[in-house]
Amino acid sequence: MNGTLTFLIFLPALSALLLLLEKNPKTVRLFALFITSCELAISLLVYWLCWRGIFSGRTLIKLDYPWIARFGIHYALAMDGVSLLLVTLTALLFALCVLVSWRQVNERVSLFHAMLLFLETGIMGVFLSADLFLFYLFWEAMLIPMFFLIGVFGHGRRVYSAVKFFVFTITGSLLMLLSIIGVYIIHGRETGVYSFMLRDLAHTQVSPVVSGVLFIGFLLGFAVKVPLFPLHTWLPDAHTDAPTAGSVILAGVLLKTGAYGILRVAFPLFPRAAAAFLPLIFTISVTGIFYAAWIAFAQKDMKRLIAYSSVSHLAYVVLGIAVWNDVSIAGSVLQMVNHGITTGALFIMVGMMDERMHTRDISAYGGLWSKAPAMSAFFLFFILSSLGLPGLNNFTGEFLILTGLFRAHPWLCAAGFAGMVTTLIYLLSLAQKILFGPPKEYRGFTDLSGRELAVLIPLAFLVVFIGVYPSALLRVLDTPVRDMVSAVSINPVGGIMP
Amino acid sequence: MTLMDFHMLLPYILLSMGACLLLPAGAFMRRPDARTLNIMGAAIALAAGISAICIHPSQADIGNLLAFDAYDRFFTAAASFMACVSLLFASGYSARRPIGGEEFPSLALFAAFGMSLLASSTSLLGVFLGLESMSLSLYVMLAANKSDPLSGESGLKYLVIGAISTAFFAYGLALIYVDSGTLSLAGSIAALSGGAGTAKITGLGLAGWALLIVGLGFKTSLFPFHLWAPDVYQGGPAPAVGFLSTASKASVFAVFLKFTGAVGAPRAELSHVLWVMAALTMIFGNIAALTQNNIKRLLAYSSIAQMGYVLVALIAAPGSGEGAAIFYLVAYSAMELCAFGAISAFSGKDGELGDIRELRGAGFKYPARSAALSIALVSLAGLPPTAGFIGKFGIFYSALNSGYVWLSIIGILTAIVSVYYYLRVVVYLYMRGGEAEKAVAFPEADFPSGLALAALSVIVVYLGIFPGKLLNLVASLTRLTV
Repeated sequence: MNGTLTFLIFLPALSALLLLLEKNPKTVRLFALFITSCELAISLLVYWLCWRGIFSGRTLIKLDYPWIARFGIHYALAMDGVSLLLVTLTALLFALCVLVSWRQVNERVSLFHAMLLFLETGIMGVFLSADLFLFYLFWEAMLIPMFFLIGVFGHGRRVYSAVKFFVFTITGSLLMLLSIIGVYIIHGRETGVYSFMLRDLAHTQVSPVVSGVLFIGFLLGFAVKVPLFPLHTWLPDAHTDAPTAGSVILAGVLLKTGAYGILRVAFPLFPRAAAAFLPLIFTISVTGIFYAAWIAFAQKDMKRLIAYSSVSHLAYVVLGIAVWNDVSIAGSVLQMVNHGITTGALFIMVGMMDERMHTRDISAYGGLWSKAPAMSAFFLFFILSSLGLPGLNNFTGEFLILTGLFRAHPWLCAAGFAGMVTTLIYLLSLAQKILFGPPKEYRGFTDLSGRELAVLIPLAFLVVFIGVYPSALLRVLDTPVRDMVSAVSINPVGGIMP
Repeated sequence: MTLMDFHMLLPYILLSMGACLLLPAGAFMRRPDARTLNIMGAAIALAAGISAICIHPSQADIGNLLAFDAYDRFFTAAASFMACVSLLFASGYSARRPIGGEEFPSLALFAAFGMSLLASSTSLLGVFLGLESMSLSLYVMLAANKSDPLSGESGLKYLVIGAISTAFFAYGLALIYVDSGTLSLAGSIAALSGGAGTAKITGLGLAGWALLIVGLGFKTSLFPFHLWAPDVYQGGPAPAVGFLSTASKASVFAVFLKFTGAVGAPRAELSHVLWVMAALTMIFGNIAALTQNNIKRLLAYSSIAQMGYVLVALIAAPGSGEGAAIFYLVAYSAMELCAFGAISAFSGKDGELGDIRELRGAGFKYPARSAALSIALVSLAGLPPTAGFIGKFGIFYSALNSGYVWLSIIGILTAIVSVYYYLRVVVYLYMRGGEAEKAVAFPEADFPSGLALAALSVIVVYLGIFPGKLLNLVASLTRLTV
């Protein structure tokens, strides 16, 4: 079983190299679909084995080989319930992205799919690394494919947005690199063992000031990716100008790598610094929830609106992680998956409308229900899911986060609920403007095709399934989250500043 | 030394004799052809490089002038391989741009000979000899294109600057000799670091060392001795500039490393000066590169900045710094040569590749060389999975490990700036202009440079993923310095 993770990570990249040589678009699409489906099948298989209890314990699968001996760097991978869920989500969204781009991408098809597959390798690697150096390598390896996806295949001010995305994220991650080297050196001097393994580094004793500085480095790197207010400004541009598949991946999984990093790296390595910075994290998260909702309400472009809604939703996830108890963390991870499904679906649907109308301007739409009922029904359904209707997926995640929040900080929980009301306002007004009211002129507007239904139905099914039976996911999460919480305690009583 | 020991000298003999034999070779060929002559030169350089690796010397020192150990062999091999690659680029290039026939490969071999001399000398006099034979050849190589006034300007500028730096170096050498009474590297360094049994260094000797650093600073284009670089890079023929930018700088750093790496931490006076130089080199090089539209000027400023990073590693020596510096030099040489190789491949009869805006849409029309250029630039920007990333990681690691926190922060911040201008070129290659049909027509690919470009790209990526072996080799070398 040890090879599974390596296979999962590098299969897309190796196939991408092959794809670059192929010219025929149809072959390229089919091959990419095959590879991404393989990925999905493998992750579902692992999920099933885990469900049946064949894999159990904190780490389901792991492997560890020395890689760069001189720096004590290991090629170490590990999969626990948290990574399993996110890996499955990634595999699902990538397979759907190939389907979504079937008609939308007609030029440089092989480059497009190669970049998509390279990106999949990077993201899988981030979720599965157990060595901080390896984690960073994959973290940065995600950048270039995404840069190409936006810059070559996007529209509007694609180059501007691609460069902005790149410069923002690289700034955060290079500062994080200094922190990584810093904690590595401190740990090495302390123990005499120079290692990047996360489980080794977690026991590093660092003086409060130094740990505060190092923590800030990590937090910056991750917060840009999440993105937390006020570092979010690259996101609306990147989303708006990216091709549909790019937006889906960006919102669906790329943003989660930031939250995952906070959960897996920043907090466990520096619990004391994290505790000291909790007030700051709470403040920017809550501000982000309201600010992004407020800005989203003013948007004229559908993609931009959904992009801002992501900023708002992801702030909940960070809140859930920052509270650091088992309920809220489980809720956060669940919410990462939910957000990936729902927002992915919304971006896919906006892409479908854009394909037909060649505009994403909200005012160009209206009364869509009379023209394309099936499409409108799905759109409304995903909007309801996004605003947290009970019985659908987002409700479960948000509920768990807020429950966890209530235990520790009742007033924060209240703020979170108020934030959900604002979400309601801008999402419902979006649905109202597009679906209802006097119908606009839709020339040659067709309802959903079979391929499009094949993309949307699984997502809709998941929305309901997770909504009514969240235990399917929570059961996998239970052990790793409990372990995480018991291994590290984030105690805010320790003092205001480090 | 007996006749039997001559085989130890084989790399030097191959380089110097090869250069001498190539020079009249054109006269004996029925139809002298620059392309063939360059490939012959490349073959000789390759043979020299391989012999430097394979022949293990049986004697440590010859005439108190040349050392023969793994460290020197490493740099000899490196200089030879770089000459080989540059000549492969020059072979296709010479068919399109007039850079002379036999003199170009011959001078490249001479230059490589000078570089290996530079890396192997155990005496300051030997360093001087190597420096001069290297520079003299490079002056002519830069001015090789007689039909292009810019090429002449480039050669002349490098000549004038070279003369000044030689003067500084020679004067510094004299002062050190007066002060310490020895020209041997080990002896004069021992005096500098105040080792046991040596006379204490006086102000005169310290001034000598300062002048020496100025001389070497010119050659490696460190701030504030960098001003020649943009013009020289812009004017010279791309294969010659690539060679100058990599091999000559790496060999001069091989000498630098002997100074700092050999005897414990460099004296505080020197390390303060070097600290400021490194910081300003990184800041100035990276910021000035932001506004460049000419790709060779851009690479000139980038190369200035890159030398700043090497200097950071040098300051962080001893410890992990020397290893990081050598690894970075290897990585830098591979990626910089790759970039200049792509530029030579893009240069046609009408002129060299100049404005990066000419590259609009070229990424799809000429996918192979554009990919090579992009890989080189991504690596120069220090992004994984390339050699540049591992190199920068090593440098920042050793800097932080030696406590140079602020220097590392300056380095990281300027590296962020650098990402922007490297990306600009990639943006023009792939994201602007769109239609491949409208892209500027560049010359057809030629086999030797295609081969060299492919090899360099593979090396850059391979070292980014599997750097372990080279890291170990480099670490074993640094234990041997002087």
